[in-house]
Amino acid sequence: MNEQVREEIKKIEESALRLQALAKDNPAIVKNAEIILNFVYILKFITPEG
Amino acid sequence: MKYWNPYLETLPRESLTKIELSYFKNILSYAKTHSKLYQNKLKGIEPEAIKTLDDLKKIPLTEKEEMRHYQEMDPFPYGGLLGTDIERVTTFRQTSGTTGKPIYVPETYESWQWRIEAWCHILYMSGFRPHHRVFLPFVYNVYVAFWEGHYAAEKLGCELIPGGGLDTKGRIHKILEVKANAMMNTPTYGLHIAEEAKSLGIDPSSLGIERMLCAGEPMPEATRRKLEELFKCHVFDHIGGTEPCGWAGMCEVKEGMHIIEPFFLVEILDRETLQREVKEGETGVAVVTPLGRRSFPLIRFNTKDLVVKGSATCPCGRTSQKIKEVVGRIDDLRKVRGVLFSPKTVEEVIRRDFPQIEEFEIIVERRGLMDVITLRAEPHSELTVSSIEQTKNELQERLKIATNLTFNVIMEPPGSLPRYMLKAKRFKDLREEKP
Repeated sequence: MNEQVREEIKKIEESALRLQALAKDNPAIVKNAEIILNFVYILKFITPEG
Repeated sequence: MKYWNPYLETLPRESLTKIELSYFKNILSYAKTHSKLYQNKLKGIEPEAIKTLDDLKKIPLTEKEEMRHYQEMDPFPYGGLLGTDIERVTTFRQTSGTTGKPIYVPETYESWQWRIEAWCHILYMSGFRPHHRVFLPFVYNVYVAFWEGHYAAEKLGCELIPGGGLDTKGRIHKILEVKANAMMNTPTYGLHIAEEAKSLGIDPSSLGIERMLCAGEPMPEATRRKLEELFKCHVFDHIGGTEPCGWAGMCEVKEGMHIIEPFFLVEILDRETLQREVKEGETGVAVVTPLGRRSFPLIRFNTKDLVVKGSATCPCGRTSQKIKEVVGRIDDLRKVRGVLFSPKTVEEVIRRDFPQIEEFEIIVERRGLMDVITLRAEPHSELTVSSIEQTKNELQERLKIATNLTFNVIMEPPGSLPRYMLKAKRFKDLREEKP
């Protein structure tokens, strides 16, 4: 698996975490960012180093 | 595209093993710190000690009975099986409870999506694609059946037609009305739809179904072929359960099933000791560890599913380990007059050699000191008296050859035996002690 793919997943994760921190008083943004993080977990799971 | 995940599905075996061992250690650590069941069960076992697949034997199997015990603890209703904060749980599911008190299964948004991702592999290798309009002829409820199929098909981009709330005739008309071209159902219900369609004067093959994925009960090859013949479509099988998720599916080659690796680490162990991994072609018990599901950690779960181990090569190019055949549930295996008997063998014989039999039921009872095994068979209504008698004799003969048991065959009037929507209950052991 291309290392670049894993790098992009990492960026999405960091971005979603930043989003949660920036909008911590907005439940809608926090929840949607949390859902992105759920998919980040799956993306990481399906892109292990072979 | 041939594969849902070309990277994972074509990884060399050694890479898959390495990844699965690494994932296994992760979930083991997680279970030890998040689940009361495993906090106790895995005392003294360190994930670092797992270096090869052989080391898995150091870890005890997880049995349903102990899960029931831990479920009684707090927090209600999942108790010590819960692997996450209860406020993160988004869906309740439960097992059917056919072997005792049901197990309650918590899913978080994350664990559910992980489960769906694994199921996407099953559907994709069965040829489900975005142009499919998938009819689901069931009411969804507390059981996991068909929820996974629904959401995985949605994720693949298929169009879903939830067909609950209608009777079978209504469903047949709805399939025709909306031009559904794919279906997910139990094999039993597939046969029932075909039978009902015929009674309405509709040839099942004219329903337009191209793909059918079966679930919920072991499907003999003869039944799969019969469904293909009736609907003139491709029929696929899969295996799974509420606790471990769907963990293997059938590809276009239709020879056995691929384990969904590296989502699941599946061991196939000899049924006598549950210690030795069986060889290719041998029958064993499937022991499954879902490797990324954290809401409900399961380590070496004894599914009690008897399967024949297949090869790790397939003309489809996938490199995952295959299951050659699902033999049935250990719970369904019985000794009758000292002979080990599986009800699936009877279904195989009937579906393969007796198209004139519409429905059947097997009853084992004890009369005096003797076990008596009876087959109640229901023929098509158009069979003449003499052909019914001939069928009865042939059934007795073929079943004797296939099972080494003499069956008392009773031919019942058409329409007299029960029909099933989900799991069929065609086998009844009425003996007080079930050897």
